[in-house]
Amino acid sequence: MGTRPEIPPGTLYMLILKTLARVGPMHGYGIAQHIHRISGEVLEVEEGSLYPALQRMLIKGWVAAEWKQSENNRRARFYNLTSAGRKQLAREIQEFELVMAAVVRVIQPA
Amino acid sequence: MGGLFRRLDFLLHRRRFEQELDEEMRHHQALQREAKRDGARPFGNVTLLKEDCRTMWIGNFFTELSQDARYAVRMIGANRLFAGMALISLALGIGANTAIYSFMEAILLRPLPVSHPEELVVLRWCAKGPTPVVKSVNGTWYRDAGVGRISPNFPFAAYEVLRGDGETFSALFAFVPAEPRNAVVRGQAEVLRADSVSGNYYSSLGVTPAAGRLISTSDDRAGAAPVAVLSYQYWESRFGLDPAAVGQRILINNTPVTIVGVSAPGFAGMDPGVETAITLPLHTFPLFAYRPGDEQRRRFFDANFYWVEMMGRLRTGVTMEQAQSRLAARFRQFAETTASRPSDKTSLPLLAVGEGRGGRDSLRRQYSQAIFVLMTMVGLILALACANIANLLLARGESRSREIAVRLSLGAGRWRIVRQLLTESVLLSCLGGALGLLVAFWGIRSITWLLANGRADLTLRASLNLPVLGFTAALSLATGLLFGLAPALRATRGDLTPALKAARTTAPVRRPGLPIGLGQILVVAQVGISLALVIGAGLFVHTLSNLNAVRLGFQRENVLLFHVNARPAGYRGAALARFYGGLSESFRAIPGVRSAAFSDYPLASQYWNGTGVVIPGVEPQPGKPSQLATMSVDPSFLSTMAIPILAGRGIEKRDLRAPRVAVVNEQFAKEFLGNANPVGRFIGIGDARESPAADIEIIGVAGNAVYNSIKEEKPPALAYLPYTQNPDDLSGVYFELRTAGAPLARAESVRRVLRAADPLVPLTDISTQDLEIDSTIGRERTLANLGACFGALALVIACIGLYGTIAYSVARRTGEIGIRLALGARRGSIVWMVLRQVVALAGAGLVIGFAAAWETTRFVQSFLFGAKPNDPLALSVAVVILGVAALAAGYAPARRAARMDPMAALRCE
Repeated sequence: MGTRPEIPPGTLYMLILKTLARVGPMHGYGIAQHIHRISGEVLEVEEGSLYPALQRMLIKGWVAAEWKQSENNRRARFYNLTSAGRKQLAREIQEFELVMAAVVRVIQPA
Repeated sequence: MGGLFRRLDFLLHRRRFEQELDEEMRHHQALQREAKRDGARPFGNVTLLKEDCRTMWIGNFFTELSQDARYAVRMIGANRLFAGMALISLALGIGANTAIYSFMEAILLRPLPVSHPEELVVLRWCAKGPTPVVKSVNGTWYRDAGVGRISPNFPFAAYEVLRGDGETFSALFAFVPAEPRNAVVRGQAEVLRADSVSGNYYSSLGVTPAAGRLISTSDDRAGAAPVAVLSYQYWESRFGLDPAAVGQRILINNTPVTIVGVSAPGFAGMDPGVETAITLPLHTFPLFAYRPGDEQRRRFFDANFYWVEMMGRLRTGVTMEQAQSRLAARFRQFAETTASRPSDKTSLPLLAVGEGRGGRDSLRRQYSQAIFVLMTMVGLILALACANIANLLLARGESRSREIAVRLSLGAGRWRIVRQLLTESVLLSCLGGALGLLVAFWGIRSITWLLANGRADLTLRASLNLPVLGFTAALSLATGLLFGLAPALRATRGDLTPALKAARTTAPVRRPGLPIGLGQILVVAQVGISLALVIGAGLFVHTLSNLNAVRLGFQRENVLLFHVNARPAGYRGAALARFYGGLSESFRAIPGVRSAAFSDYPLASQYWNGTGVVIPGVEPQPGKPSQLATMSVDPSFLSTMAIPILAGRGIEKRDLRAPRVAVVNEQFAKEFLGNANPVGRFIGIGDARESPAADIEIIGVAGNAVYNSIKEEKPPALAYLPYTQNPDDLSGVYFELRTAGAPLARAESVRRVLRAADPLVPLTDISTQDLEIDSTIGRERTLANLGACFGALALVIACIGLYGTIAYSVARRTGEIGIRLALGARRGSIVWMVLRQVVALAGAGLVIGFAAAWETTRFVQSFLFGAKPNDPLALSVAVVILGVAALAAGYAPARRAARMDPMAALRCE
């Protein structure tokens, strides 16, 4: 397996939150697929980081989980954005843009 | 905070969490397989993944907790002086609370070791005025302010009536607790505490046998073969748990009784204050009596003779109120049938149902008030200790304010820091609690020793059992939160900038709008509380010294006391008198015994033998018949006790035969004769309405001596009578031996002499006159000793608090003091500047404490003797002690401030 670009540390929550905000309730596999597809198959979310992250977000109250029938008639846990999650998303995006802009300023040739 | 609840929910539903996670993984894998993309990664390490998910939930919380704990240990270790002071005050505070609580548990809270003790009820009756249907009571009664006279004793017929109420009771049993019985066990005479019980006693209580069988209904009827059940403790101490004890015969009052079994370990009757050795059926009473026929009639057929106690087990679903109304009505009907005149029916005793889970309440009545007083004292001491530590933490919190400000500004949550500070204080308090257990262990021993006062038969077994340990744990936790919370909240609040700016925290941080700091309020409260405690201690100590200073009128030192009763061994009348006279001669011959005497009861032992008296030529006051206390004594009693003869002569050997004579005390002459000389007058003793013959000549007047109790206001009018005067009434006697050295050292010789005289007569209640008097003031002694300890403890803790606060404020003002000194302030004025603060704090505390004590000391009035609740001496001594101690505590830092080198002080800024 070749080396893949890693998801920058700290941005996974934001990616998941944004995905849920855009698409609505999704199960874990769906979230991973969605990020993979939208990112032009650059970002790959591994289960080993996805599910712990989802648990963490449950504790923080950013997402809520619900067991539902999936599109192909399987029982799956669907994650849904809460209002706290929506606020968190806004905060994270703002912070990320600030940091990105700063990083860009640093690496741009003078 | 929501996260905390979600975490808790997780901890409670772990299994569901695991299942859901499994299912989620399977779902994910299934979808991944379906996608079947080439080069699709295999699913990662499932176990690791689940582990990661789990740590998300619990990992952090516990990791943080253990981080906090490690940090707390480091902080405590870094500041040894602070930690040491905090630990010592906590250990003392929590230890004292645990020790007193263990007594509270043993006396007030511990249920009887029987099945479902909460279902048990005790029956009593109460009456405000006289109750003619109660012709005589054989048992106990006491007065209660609201209810009047209360007694647990009933006629046997009442038991038979109430037992029929199967709707209320699933069982009702009757008993007579702890009668002393002369017994001969394995050839040796002794006095045993015997319970007499109805046949359903053990089955109702659900007590099982440890050996043999227990008393059953067929044992408890007239004419049944007499049987006995041993208590486990007695079986252990006397028979070494030998199973062959069952089936053996023992003699009780010279009647053979067969041991049929042993009751379960731990069970020792219905009274937690008395350890029963042996249990007999109720119907054995007549067997041990002088006249069995009379006894049988009196006990089982006289409905006006009140003697058995009753306890029952309520049927499930029956409430106390229901039981009360039903039983009271039934008992009323019964009592009406026992009235001999119609007018008697207007004032019948009223039945009252009480909770019975703790058994008889003799101990509870005696000690509950004292325990609440002590519990209040130790509670206040712990509050003092808490205030001390809170104060130290406040001071430290300010010196750590920079560290905390840095952490807060770096993004640490306030709750996180509060939690960490609380972890530190709870860890401290738990360590203090653990040390407190050592203090409590030692305290329980000392208090037990104080209460026992040389008596070996104290049944009070306070110990560090599970409920007590639980109390200590809860108390430690609560203490830690209590003294930690305010300083923690304070340390983490408000504006960070000043704290960050200050290069060092030397500037006094006065917060706007708060002229007095929390620390100062705490010190004022401490001084106030400890003043109240010192006043309380002063009152108790004053009471004890008053009691010890009572003029007795006789010499209490070096008198050996013991009880001998030869009547159950078969001696009667003149033979009994001869036996005692002979014994007295033999005791006098023991080396080291100066003189020997005996009397029907010892002096000052709370015994009262009152009777009517007729004095020819003296008219009794109308409506108030003359009352006389009497004591039967042998000729050498007055000289042995060193009671002086003021007029006439004492009782001599020749007076043991007719004519009848008496020696009276001074009070007699004062009360009845207006201080005229009574010698040569004749008196008659007995109920004045039956006009007894005035055939007793007064031959002498003795000095007043304490008769009933050292707490009596004045001795009663008293007559000493030769013991041979009423031979039919002669029963057990107490011997008084005045010894040359320690009285108890003669006990073995006494035992030998008695065994030689008759091996079947037991020697009991060996004591000394000193111990006997002390035992009547055991409660006062305990309160005075513990009160003094607690008062001193409170004083020390408050002084440490004051010292700490002043020393801290001096340290903070180092720079300021340096400037003052550099500008030429005199050292005396610096001392005064610091002491002014001490005086203000202590003064405010003293005023508040004084006011609080003024209002509350009346609650301990019933424990006082010779001291009023607001005794000016105790109050002023306490104020002076506390004032001096406070000044001393404040003077040390003040002096240090004045001695400061101004240059060093300025540089420190």
